Amino acid sequence: MKKKNRVAAATNWPLTILLILGCITVIFPLYMAIVIAFKKPSEMTNDISGALGLPKSWSLENFAEAMRVTDFWHSLGYSLLITVVTVVLAILIHSLAGYAIGRSKTGSKFYNFSYLYIVSGMFVPFAILMMPLVKQTAQLHIDNWVGVILCYLVFYMPMNIMLYTGYLKNIPIALEEAATVDGATTWTTYWKVIFPIMKPMHATVAVLTALGTWNDVMTPLVIMSGTGANTLPLAQLTFQTQFGTNYNLAFASYLLALIPILIFYLVCQKQVINGVVNGAVK
Amino acid sequence: MMKKKLIATTLVAVLLTGIAAGLAGCGSDSENADGKTHISILQYKPEAVKAFEKMEAEFNATHDDVYLTIESPNDAMTVLKTRLIKEDAPDIVGIGGDVNFSNFVDAEILMDISDFEGISQVKESYLEIAKNLEFVPSDGIYAVPYVANAAGVLYNREMFEKNNWEIPTTWEEFIELCETIKASGQLPLYFGYKDIWTCLAPWNALAVDLAPADVCRQVNKGETKFIDEYGEVAEKTLQLLDYAQDDPFAYNYNDACTAFANGESAMYCIGSYAVPQIQSVNPDMDIDSFVMPGSSNAEENVLNSGIDLQFCVTSNCKNKEAAYEVLDFLLQDSTIQTYLDDQNAVPCKDQEFTLPSSLDGMVDYINEGKMSDYQDHYYPAEMSVDAQIQTFLLNGDVDAFLNKFDTDWVRYNRDIIRKVQEYEEKGGN
Amino acid sequence: MKSLNKNQTFMLITIPILALFFCFNTLPLIKGLIYSFTNFRGFGNYEWVGLRNYADLFTDSRVGKSYLFTFKFAILATIVTNVISLLLALGLNARIRAKSALRGIYFVPRILGGLVVGYIFGYFFTYILPALGQAIGSESLGSSMLSNTKTAWIAIVIVAAWQSIAQTTLIYISGLQTVPEDVYEAGAIDGATGWKRFKELTFPMIIPFFSINMVLSTKDFLMVFDQIMALTKGGPAQSTESISYLIYNNGMGGGQFGFQSANAVLFFIVIVAISVFQLNFTGKKEEQL
Repeated sequence: MKKKNRVAAATNWPLTILLILGCITVIFPLYMAIVIAFKKPSEMTNDISGALGLPKSWSLENFAEAMRVTDFWHSLGYSLLITVVTVVLAILIHSLAGYAIGRSKTGSKFYNFSYLYIVSGMFVPFAILMMPLVKQTAQLHIDNWVGVILCYLVFYMPMNIMLYTGYLKNIPIALEEAATVDGATTWTTYWKVIFPIMKPMHATVAVLTALGTWNDVMTPLVIMSGTGANTLPLAQLTFQTQFGTNYNLAFASYLLALIPILIFYLVCQKQVINGVVNGAVK
Repeated sequence: MMKKKLIATTLVAVLLTGIAAGLAGCGSDSENADGKTHISILQYKPEAVKAFEKMEAEFNATHDDVYLTIESPNDAMTVLKTRLIKEDAPDIVGIGGDVNFSNFVDAEILMDISDFEGISQVKESYLEIAKNLEFVPSDGIYAVPYVANAAGVLYNREMFEKNNWEIPTTWEEFIELCETIKASGQLPLYFGYKDIWTCLAPWNALAVDLAPADVCRQVNKGETKFIDEYGEVAEKTLQLLDYAQDDPFAYNYNDACTAFANGESAMYCIGSYAVPQIQSVNPDMDIDSFVMPGSSNAEENVLNSGIDLQFCVTSNCKNKEAAYEVLDFLLQDSTIQTYLDDQNAVPCKDQEFTLPSSLDGMVDYINEGKMSDYQDHYYPAEMSVDAQIQTFLLNGDVDAFLNKFDTDWVRYNRDIIRKVQEYEEKGGN
Repeated sequence: MKSLNKNQTFMLITIPILALFFCFNTLPLIKGLIYSFTNFRGFGNYEWVGLRNYADLFTDSRVGKSYLFTFKFAILATIVTNVISLLLALGLNARIRAKSALRGIYFVPRILGGLVVGYIFGYFFTYILPALGQAIGSESLGSSMLSNTKTAWIAIVIVAAWQSIAQTTLIYISGLQTVPEDVYEAGAIDGATGWKRFKELTFPMIIPFFSINMVLSTKDFLMVFDQIMALTKGGPAQSTESISYLIYNNGMGGGQFGFQSANAVLFFIVIVAISVFQLNFTGKKEEQL
């Protein structure tokens, strides 16, 4: 029976071709960005071929200029700094909190309340926090990348704690009890036993938090404004008018902003996809 | 295992020190780190960034006691307001003479600079414009008007000479000119209405001809309504669309400047501030301008001109003398010339400067003082009159637009109207 | 640490976390609530105005329009996203070649930032699409979608859906993979094929995934900001001002800090109400099945 089925399961070629053609919807905008980024303004005529044809020469001039205009390396630095620190701290802090709260919330009113209190934060739109947060971070003198990271740690806390507590349900409590019998404290048990076991969830949390912080514009926009520092997407917004009508320059800059995350995706494609799916489904 | 733990611990330690350093870094004020007084300026014209960079360098090269920094960010008004929310105002702000200024004065965040001696060098008429912007007239002086701009119609002089087109002085002549240009197969006007603020350019230029200069004040006093004053302005702004490119709402300010620079249209209703942008596309272009002839009576047509840039000292500024030193420097003839070389503007200082040739058609009005301030300088920003004009231009419903204008006005200016009426009751003029 | 027992350790962990959460979530929320009763411009002096801002919210046509737009947008974008994603997921789960490569490509939009994607599409809608429309002689495509109040919001739906389909599809695929082969085999005996097979066999099996997607995409779309910032800045004629955009634009830039705080409070209540409704509704649906 099974073997017969396999034979019947021939490749559905029409569908394969249809799906390959469908990829155009994804690739076309990127193709457009690439060809425009390499062209000179004089090559851009008003018809389609002017915009979409291949450039005469593949010169990196636009990219060099875009890097200069948007202060690319600094913006990239800030983006990396904010994302990496947020992700590392999120894994350390949120997993710990998820563990403490998740392990005690059955049978304890306090922890159950804490859990619901934090998770309900998921419904608070950034718009309502935005203006008071601007004031607050300024008063604390953290209206810079530090403040942005602290905000992210709080914004992603509801989701991450939910993910960690959910994952913990599948880890038998006997594991910790065995360690405790051996004389280890709760603290060391956590770091030695539980933290490594939650590795798959760390990957999910890392991917979701990283994608969110890397691409976010609004938080750095309001908190870091006036400091002269930009993240990569924020630089696109800040320098938008300086591109003027030089769309070639603008597109070179857009591509530069997209390339780091695309490279990251090419390298860790599987982890990224799994992370996003796990985060939603779990 | 051990190694991993070590790496993890080190990583955490590095991160925490990083954060601590970040915290400490912003706690220490940069002021006086080098024994100098630091003065910061935030000015709202990013297009003038090169001129300001020059001024900054010049100032710091010639002054030992004061160190000046000038910021020219994009979307400076939002940046400035965010910094005000943060209570981190710069010492001096370079802003336009518009409703933001009125609000700043009203919110008491600007310093009274009546004792600044340099103020006497500024033309009286511009000080008056600044004074008029205050919701309720105060005793103090809060702004040093720096340069003014004018809005009307820019035209391609070469095209006009080639076709023997005449400069119109009345609305009828203007429409006739547009018809002639259209009939010749060329495009009379180009608009960049995708950027909503550009909708205000023709609107303002027509409003100064057709509505009383103090219409907003009159409305606040309850003496008139916009629907009674702005009808003709609205109709004529709408009429201009007949002579523009297809779908002007698809193109932004940059697109329109580029199109005009490339000779795609003969005229462009915009302010003199657009000239540098246009010339950046086509440096050889011969641009001149004329006053928007909104009225059928040539005598009634006045130039739409207001303060484009003025400097105000904020109450946050700790060192008034240093701020005045900066203001003195800014008012020096050579500094103003640096600005004029870069930007197309009319200086507010009472002194002869050579005006750019693109203002040839307006120079008589400037010299005679036949000018009136931009009416949108009195509109509250959050009312988004520019977007309402865009809405109206898209649907063409004059009455609905002006009725909404009146109701919105009352709602957005409620607190101001109350203040004005209290002031009137107390026997103000 | 040695002397601490388990409960003490947990307490020591939980208290600072709660404090942090309170400081950067609850405290600003309360402050926002307080500002909503003032006429604060964001700077300078201000006065208490009681419930005036809330009364104004319900008479302000611009706020009303932004809610209408946001809902209209969120509903259409949710439908478009879920329908296309479901079809795509069925396709990508079928017996095709280069399965993982195709999945990898279709996922790319998810990782790109909304703002930059918005800029790229902005150029596409302003220059490429009209040129294409003129080339094929189509009147309606001949002018920019973004300059027309009737079509601008559709353009935003397209861009938002383009990005959001990536993740939604992936979630549907993982749903489809939970459907065991023998369900189909049983169905095949009953003669279920095509639409019937999907409706009666496949779809009921993936309802939990369907509800996840509905909740996630509705919530994301209701908070739309980046795409608006990049594509239209709320225009033309204020027809595409989302609630978040209006709060940002008028609250930060426009001097309506107090009033927009009230708007934000209302928005918060609306989001909570919708989420509770959705969770209850989908929860019941799942129980029924």
